[in-house]
Amino acid sequence: MIVRRAWIAALALGFVAAGLVGRVAAFPVDGDQTTLPPKTELNEDALDKPREVFHSEIAGARSYMINLGDLAFSSPAILGGVARQAGVSCGTCHVNGAGNARLFMPKMSTRPGNFDTTGPLFNPKANNSVLDPVRIPSLRGARYLAPYGFDGRMPSLRDFVHNVIVNEFAGPEPSPDVLDAIVAYIQDIDFLPNPSLGAGGRLIGNVSESERRGEALFAKPFPHDPGLSCAGCHTPSGVFSDHQQHDVGSGGLFKTPTLRNADFNAPYFHDGRFDTYDQVVAHFDKQFDLGLSAQDQHDLVAYLIAVGDGVQPYERDGAGASLKEINDFTTVLGTAIPAGDKEIVSLAVDTIGGELRELTEQYPDRKDTSMSGGEQQRIMARSTLKQLVLTLRRIDMAVADGRTADASADYGNYRNLMAAAVPALLASAQPWSLFNPAVHDSHYAALRQVLQSKHMPH
Amino acid sequence: MINPRAAVCLVLLMLGGGSRAALAAPLEDAAEHYRPYMIEGIGQALAGARDLRARIAAHDLAGAKTAWISARAGWERSEVFTAGFVPELDAEIDAWPNAVVGFHAIEARLFGAGSTDALGDADELVEHLDSLHQKLYGMVLTPQGLLDGTARLAYEVGESKADGGESRISGTSLDDMRNNVAGIDFAWRTIFAPALGAADAKLAEAVDLRIRELKVIVAAPDLPHIDVTALRRASEELVITLQSASAKLGLRRPTLEANLK
Repeated sequence: MIVRRAWIAALALGFVAAGLVGRVAAFPVDGDQTTLPPKTELNEDALDKPREVFHSEIAGARSYMINLGDLAFSSPAILGGVARQAGVSCGTCHVNGAGNARLFMPKMSTRPGNFDTTGPLFNPKANNSVLDPVRIPSLRGARYLAPYGFDGRMPSLRDFVHNVIVNEFAGPEPSPDVLDAIVAYIQDIDFLPNPSLGAGGRLIGNVSESERRGEALFAKPFPHDPGLSCAGCHTPSGVFSDHQQHDVGSGGLFKTPTLRNADFNAPYFHDGRFDTYDQVVAHFDKQFDLGLSAQDQHDLVAYLIAVGDGVQPYERDGAGASLKEINDFTTVLGTAIPAGDKEIVSLAVDTIGGELRELTEQYPDRKDTSMSGGEQQRIMARSTLKQLVLTLRRIDMAVADGRTADASADYGNYRNLMAAAVPALLASAQPWSLFNPAVHDSHYAALRQVLQSKHMPH
Repeated sequence: MINPRAAVCLVLLMLGGGSRAALAAPLEDAAEHYRPYMIEGIGQALAGARDLRARIAAHDLAGAKTAWISARAGWERSEVFTAGFVPELDAEIDAWPNAVVGFHAIEARLFGAGSTDALGDADELVEHLDSLHQKLYGMVLTPQGLLDGTARLAYEVGESKADGGESRISGTSLDDMRNNVAGIDFAWRTIFAPALGAADAKLAEAVDLRIRELKVIVAAPDLPHIDVTALRRASEELVITLQSASAKLGLRRPTLEANLK
């Protein structure tokens, strides 16, 4: 309950996206030589990342296909072209399967959290010459949310993913296995559990009076359109969607979005025009002449917050979280190396190596002016991570040459080190890493200070 | 929890380590052949820095920018040895990102703020480069240290520049990379290639091949057109090949961070 009230306060102040996801304003892409437009914001340095819950982990371990899909989802090579050059992957927009509310790309976004899939940057052939971005959606619970696309134009998730890769991003035709794997991964991302939701989508447990009144209002027929109600489209259930397209006065027919975990899915509406539930409720009040009092609106917002909640929506990023993801990716090699699958081994080596290189930069080198101390610990962490990158590349080279036994030996060494030695080294360097909030803030403040000089009038 | 020091030993044992001493002696002479190049490279950086100071004193912003780029070229070609042999001066000259001294402090003033208000910084840069230039004549050059520096720089070239790279304010990160590769190439050809060619011609050709690949990749017209996947692959394969070469050269496997103790 305390948590829920905190969310209400945050929503009322419009701080959801800006205040709880990252500690400080993130560092944008900048300079004259970048692939992405200057002032692009990817929010990659956020210390708190959306928590990802996998359906298959409830029953046991994740399958090879899910791990391969997760890996491919994080690989810029899958999207090809400009995205590959810029280091943009599916996971850049859908961080751990959740929407990236801070992502902003000049020419492709009109506000943080939306993106023009028919814009000029990634596939000029798909450019419709209109800046018409759509909200970056969360993929939590996607297996329940067909049809796909903001307008629900595609019944098949597989077709939708294929369209994103090949048409929206002009990426290379993915192999059937990789495409199936990405779909398997997306379909494995669960909603965050919400203990306040019971059977039939009813609020249960310690429900406030305001929430209960909101629940009744939600189901109440609209005064001037008795065939309509909030619950008519957002059907109270495990999904809170009727899977249909409707015109709610926002410029066309759009698919009913789920309300599950929606507290963490701002901005709202197909184009992300609203920051808060208050704005959403006010829109419906006006559009359908609902005649809601201030109390009614407050109660509906309280209800939406209760429905849209989820357990532990964010988790602190750190070496442990990074290594877990990297280890999940690496399991793919355990299958691909013995099979001599050059394509998958290369994909895995390029992707995991990229992740390890990014992790290396979490431990600033000795020339970084924004910090001091822990020099030997940082050097040891950096050196070890670089050695791991090279070990993976040796594996790639060995598999390419048909030396599967050599690759397997290197893979065994790599796994042994990742089991204990590497976590210990990174833990010893953690106080002087960008995972330490003080170091993080100091480092990015230094970068921003330099870049601000570029944008000051002179 | 495993002890960090023990963890390092374990990592080095499993992924690197090992020492040989068969061919090291002839390399000592070869390293001496590299000294004039070092002196020339830092000499160019010093001359550029002196010109930079003069342009700044004259409030000639365009000229100062040109001089900065010229000085920077000599410096980046010399990064094979700077981090390993003169770490303190390296940190003074090339600190990043919001340095109060060195190249990047001046870069922010010239290219960022569009100001020539950097005379004190230029004085210090000249002083540091002059000090380095003097040291080069008597510095003990070890083949191991130069191989370490070559491998480190080869790895660094493969790092992502998607955020604009090290010299993003001036937009010269690609120039940095080209000069890095030129520095790697010269160090390789001058110090190591003849000895390795005699010991293992095939391996020497493999190193040559990767360096040629890097040269082609960084010849792209601008940073956004660098093939980042090919760059990373070539960079890592070059380091791996240099690691293999180290054994044939009678040297230890090169370290990937300067001052690892």
